[in-house]
Amino acid sequence: MAMTEKQRILAAARKQPVDKLPVGARIDVWYNYHSGHDTLPEKYKGWGIPDILCDQGAGIQLRHGAIWRTEYRDTEVVVHEDPPYTTTEYKTPKGTVSKKTMFTPQEGPWMPYELELPFKSVDDYPVIEHLLENTVLIPYLDDYLKKVEMVGENGVVVAPDSYSPMQEIMRTIMGYERFFFELHDYPSRVEHLYELMKEVVWQKLKILAESPVETPEVCGNWSDDIHTPVFRKYFTPWFQEVGEFLHLKGKLTQAHIDGEMRRLIPMFLETGIDVAEAWSPAPMTSVTTAELREAWGDKVTIWGGVPAILFEPQYSDEEFDEYVKHLLKEIAPGYNFILGMGDNLAFDGKIERVGRMAELVDKYGRLPI
Amino acid sequence: MFDYSTLIQAVVGGNHIRSVELASEALKDGVSPQDIVGSGLQAGMRIVGDKFSAGDFFVPEMLLASRAVTRAMEVLQPHICAADMPTLGRVVIGTVFGDIHDIGKNLLAMFLRGAGFEVFDLGINITTDSFVGAVKEYAPAILGMSALITTTMPTMGDVIKALEVAELRSRVKIIVGGAPVTQHFTEYIGADGYGADGGSAIKLCRNLVGK
Repeated sequence: MAMTEKQRILAAARKQPVDKLPVGARIDVWYNYHSGHDTLPEKYKGWGIPDILCDQGAGIQLRHGAIWRTEYRDTEVVVHEDPPYTTTEYKTPKGTVSKKTMFTPQEGPWMPYELELPFKSVDDYPVIEHLLENTVLIPYLDDYLKKVEMVGENGVVVAPDSYSPMQEIMRTIMGYERFFFELHDYPSRVEHLYELMKEVVWQKLKILAESPVETPEVCGNWSDDIHTPVFRKYFTPWFQEVGEFLHLKGKLTQAHIDGEMRRLIPMFLETGIDVAEAWSPAPMTSVTTAELREAWGDKVTIWGGVPAILFEPQYSDEEFDEYVKHLLKEIAPGYNFILGMGDNLAFDGKIERVGRMAELVDKYGRLPI
Repeated sequence: MFDYSTLIQAVVGGNHIRSVELASEALKDGVSPQDIVGSGLQAGMRIVGDKFSAGDFFVPEMLLASRAVTRAMEVLQPHICAADMPTLGRVVIGTVFGDIHDIGKNLLAMFLRGAGFEVFDLGINITTDSFVGAVKEYAPAILGMSALITTTMPTMGDVIKALEVAELRSRVKIIVGGAPVTQHFTEYIGADGYGADGGSAIKLCRNLVGK
């Protein structure tokens, strides 16, 4: 009996034999935009992502954020909604900080973007420390499980949207620019936040360990020009420790590698992370899939490989086909690889090319290639 | 005589406290602000740009160097009047609509200022109309657009079309950049140039203004 797409994706993640190259396609940006503008193709109006991808013959990658709810002890959280903006104030005995996010799903995004982050000056250290010391995460799986049921055997739900402790500080507390200034000017204060953030992220990991998520996403959104200087000190040991813990619980670890990875390639191998998802090769980054495979061998399962821009009208169908066929040759014999776009279908991407990708795999993707 | 190498070193080393001290010292020694900028700060930023392009420096070093220049410029600004500081040209930059990523754009702005361009940074999530309005208002030599995600890249083409409709296209050179942007895409939308990183973007801008 043929494997289901879910079985193929999980087997490839676990470096087990599969019959055919798995396909895990991600189209939430395209879907959100066209749903929001009522411009879905006539055939797909009223359909959800899983049904559209099934119709295209592709396996499904559906995203899910957190499988927990966040509460803060001894803190008043005040939310002001002014769509598409949300301002959240955190009023603590040590002072108040606020953040501002923008969420425009009708333009494509599947999650809010941070416009203003809570840390703005050295005066905010005590407030952020209080928040981290008093963060309580409570498991909440209902929405995740609904998505799992919706996807069924046709793919997987990737969760959560989570980061390593230092990446959390960089992205959600300070922002990259401020982070590097603070790390330079007040290293011991940043390191103290790091220790506190570790405890918060450990709460997430313990929830994940007891959850049905098979390959938790433990970090991502790296770019080698930003993260290389801090990776070995703050990221590598963390992932090694986390990997050991999650492996003992029968899980794999996964990272979302959608940025320029060239100088991070050897460091990634040191982390022990099992799956590198959202792989976006040249021309979107400087690294080809062949280079990545050569560097990592069969130690890391790669998920992605077809650059998102290949789905756009600037490239012809013939160029698209040639790219995918060439990619299949690059990854031969094709084990430990899950085909997908790097890393989403853009709003002007051609949905038919998702089906084209699946057809090319049917034709040329039986393993071993 | 003022030793510019110390100021260059402060910039390259990202030492904003030292760059301020040295800029003040140079002024006291009677060095002209233009020379402090040209032979000290800009010279330092050129080295930083070259090191970044060579892969020896990363974004953190660039940020710290840019801060060292910015803080030193704050000391020098009261001593400079607009006429005394010739610029290489005026540049308007922004991140396109729907995109709020700005670190690359911010670095480019710092680099361009350090290199001698006059920069108007529109910020993030800039609509097509705002880009067109800025070209009308500032009459820049160069318009720079940044996008970090493929989903927002197509709006760069919309801005170019809007400039054509407004009969402004021929008056401005357009450069694009950001992680997903490629030379292929640049030619597809009809932009004039593409900068893969800050260092190459500076060279591109200099070429486009003929300096």
